[in-house]
Amino acid sequence: MSATSLSANAAASMERFDRQTSRYGSITMALGLILSLAGPIYIAFFSGMEVTASMVWVALLAVAATFGVLWVVEPLTYFPILGSAAMYQAFMIGNISNKLLPAAIVAQSAIDAKPGTKRGDLAAVMAICGAATVHLTSLLLFVGVLGTWLVHSIPVEVIEVARLYILPSLMGAVLVQCIVSMKALRPTIVAVVAALLVNFVVVPLAPATGAFATALVVIASIVFSWVLRKRTTQASSEH
Amino acid sequence: MQTPLAVAAADPSSTNIWAIANTPFLWICVLGVFAVIFVQTVLYAKAATAAAPHIEMPVRELKEAFRAGAVASIGPSLAVVLVAIALLALFGTPAVLVRIGLIGSAAAETASASIAAGTMGASLGGDSYTQQVFAVAFMAMSLSGAMWMLCTLIMTPLLKKGGKSLAKRNPAVMALIPTAALLGAFSALTIAELPKSNVHLILVGISAAAMGLCLYLAKALHQKWLKEWALGISIVIALVSAYYLHTA
Repeated sequence: MSATSLSANAAASMERFDRQTSRYGSITMALGLILSLAGPIYIAFFSGMEVTASMVWVALLAVAATFGVLWVVEPLTYFPILGSAAMYQAFMIGNISNKLLPAAIVAQSAIDAKPGTKRGDLAAVMAICGAATVHLTSLLLFVGVLGTWLVHSIPVEVIEVARLYILPSLMGAVLVQCIVSMKALRPTIVAVVAALLVNFVVVPLAPATGAFATALVVIASIVFSWVLRKRTTQASSEH
Repeated sequence: MQTPLAVAAADPSSTNIWAIANTPFLWICVLGVFAVIFVQTVLYAKAATAAAPHIEMPVRELKEAFRAGAVASIGPSLAVVLVAIALLALFGTPAVLVRIGLIGSAAAETASASIAAGTMGASLGGDSYTQQVFAVAFMAMSLSGAMWMLCTLIMTPLLKKGGKSLAKRNPAVMALIPTAALLGAFSALTIAELPKSNVHLILVGISAAAMGLCLYLAKALHQKWLKEWALGISIVIALVSAYYLHTA
């Protein structure tokens, strides 16, 4: 009896956490959206730049042709990983795959929590809070305050190397950390095989799928991990 | 370098981008976005602290998660800072802070700006890159970023409903989805780096090996801090190798 009331209590408090973060999250995100548009609108239309609405439309359509799919696909791709609370953080802070997700994985593995569990969700939210704090501080200090000085004192090659090679330098390590902390052999094999097939077979054969590549791999990993799961009785005793 | 009264230097055909890109009003908007994210962070941390005791999660673990997230993001944040500094000349400090540093990412935003400039028959940084082109490019990349946020605002509640009904009907699949999605996403992102060049291929290997070694040592020597710093260490090792491979 006490065990069930305890778990009912846990469910109720997670329910409250969900409600609170949805409210705070959507309000702050809407504010961020408005503020991020106010600046460019002022520059384009109230600073004597003679920008016409059609110039903006043409430019936006051209950008949409490349990124329009990602506007929809990225939130879909990351929702199962982030959960609803962290969605509002991640898509405002940005740099999701190269910073926020790695931070969440490190934090979950630091306290041995699995993604998708209640502990895992709270750990991910706190990890993103930590990452946001570091990110805001370092940006304000190194770019906002010291940026114009640093731009003349950091060798060009160093900046060039960071720009060219940050992704491979980051991704190899994150993938290993991810595999080690998930401890899920079959989904790991499924995911790597799916990524190899999509990247080296599907996309070269049908280049139009390039924008969906990550999403395709994520969907394939979910579907085939489920189809090829270990069919034993202890399947759901993880949490 | 630039005149303090930046607005006075506004001229659509001038190529002095900094004169318009550092307008005080832009700085106010940028600081506003920073403040909003800071407030969000505080509210979220409070909500998590309120919920944790009820799921038998000690507050100590929340602090650990916060610290782990902070430490893990030092490397990536500094990398973003370096890239942001490289783009200051193109977009000015406020636009770089809000578009590359926050909200977007360097790759997507630079690509958007360059596509937008292209529709005006201009290229970023060239003689054709006037204040007017900057204004249109900045507007286009901001609208594109806004669409990402708009989709998130619209889709998150719907996905949440879908997830809840799926969790009721099939809890086992809901336990599997985050793991499979995470492994899928990072397998895809990593493997996409491999064919870019031999240096990319080698760097993925170096970075992966460094992480493997750090995690092994953390376990073998019972050094928990090493698990948190592993990502930063791996990035530094890989980037230093990149420097030598690139300049060799």
